[in-house]
Amino acid sequence: MPYYSLGLEGSANKLGVGVIEHPLEKIAAYNQANVLSNVRDTYVTPPGEGFLPRDTARHHRNWVVRLIKQALKEANIRPDQLDCICFTQGPGMGAPLQSVVIAARTIAQMWDLPLVGVNHCIGHIEMGREITGATNPVVLYVSGGNTQVIAYSRQRYRIFGETLDIAVGNCLDRFARTLRIPNAPSPGYNIEQLAKKGRHLVELPYTVKGMDLSMSGILEYVDSLAHDLFQGKKNKQLIRADGSKVTVEDLCFSLQECIFAMLVEITERAMAHVGSREVLIVGGVGCNERLQEMMGLMAKDRNGSIYATDERFCIDNGIMIAHAGLLAYRTGTRTTLEQSVCTQRFRTDEVFVSWRED
Amino acid sequence: MVFSHRLSYRIPFCSAKQARIAQGSLQPDPTLKPSELQAVYTVDDNVLTITFDGVSERVIRVAANNTIENLKTVIECLEEFEIKSC
Repeated sequence: MPYYSLGLEGSANKLGVGVIEHPLEKIAAYNQANVLSNVRDTYVTPPGEGFLPRDTARHHRNWVVRLIKQALKEANIRPDQLDCICFTQGPGMGAPLQSVVIAARTIAQMWDLPLVGVNHCIGHIEMGREITGATNPVVLYVSGGNTQVIAYSRQRYRIFGETLDIAVGNCLDRFARTLRIPNAPSPGYNIEQLAKKGRHLVELPYTVKGMDLSMSGILEYVDSLAHDLFQGKKNKQLIRADGSKVTVEDLCFSLQECIFAMLVEITERAMAHVGSREVLIVGGVGCNERLQEMMGLMAKDRNGSIYATDERFCIDNGIMIAHAGLLAYRTGTRTTLEQSVCTQRFRTDEVFVSWRED
Repeated sequence: MVFSHRLSYRIPFCSAKQARIAQGSLQPDPTLKPSELQAVYTVDDNVLTITFDGVSERVIRVAANNTIENLKTVIECLEEFEIKSC
């Protein structure tokens, strides 16, 4: 009989539940995992507002049991067929994480199943590898809460570079808030749509610091440009070369070009350092087609290629937690009730990658 | 540590097993400031007792509210997924 696991994700404003099947024997290209169900419900806030931990936790509590039922039904799996219950242990927002682990603990006890706590970033990486078939890529993890360039070495996913302040998705979302456009369905999605109509590049600060980057200054800068634009204040940066006015679309375009160029730079350095030709882009911002395009151009110059997934797997989901948790379960990882406390800070390189031997 | 305020809940469940499951789900999460608030969970047959000891009504109210919210999730799970009812 194959392995089955149920994964619960709720570290931010998405609540996801998924059931995955691993065939017996080792997981490989010829022996792939099957996604049996992958359901999600997003806590959507009005345009101009972010999501607060308390309200997000309330959303997750309202939906978690319904989503678990739906995931099991779609997968056509009974609780007694499952091998383990996997949940996101961090990193993320404390209250939403905690609201979901309560359900995980309860069903694990009721169904007499072991719990497996999963690092959210590891979930993204492992699901990305599984879906795309990338074997040993440099991973760019870009979402609303995280920005990291990661490479695998000796059973750890090591962080080569990361943001020193806010995440890429957070930068985009906060600019979206300034523009009063919604943040759904994924971080920066609506900025991306506007950016497609932008033509004029407004110069913004470029803040790569070694292998790390900083985005709060860029956000501040572009926010103030947007305010000047809305209030009709004179600013020579808001005049194009032909004398016409810079538009909101131009600002979105410029913001994307600037921060994505920074991401491409540090990713390229990581590739050169580890001698990898593959880039895997994961996380909610990973759906961004412009980011994929820019990364693709860089990879092509290095005779490499990029791997990216679509919104089912890029945006936070339960299936990636089920998958990464089941990999850990199969190599003996168990999380006791006492150990199942969630933590807001949980670095990618803290996890011992027992399921990889290379 | 001496606390000036105390609040106890007694929550009867259908069975002792259910009460122990609720205890197992709620107990692991530590209180944010142990110097200001402590929560003790005990099970006697089918009754779960939660006792909060704290330095003020405010800290107890926050913790007690949060515990009730969590308890609602536990009870919803018990209701929806229990294979045989008690």
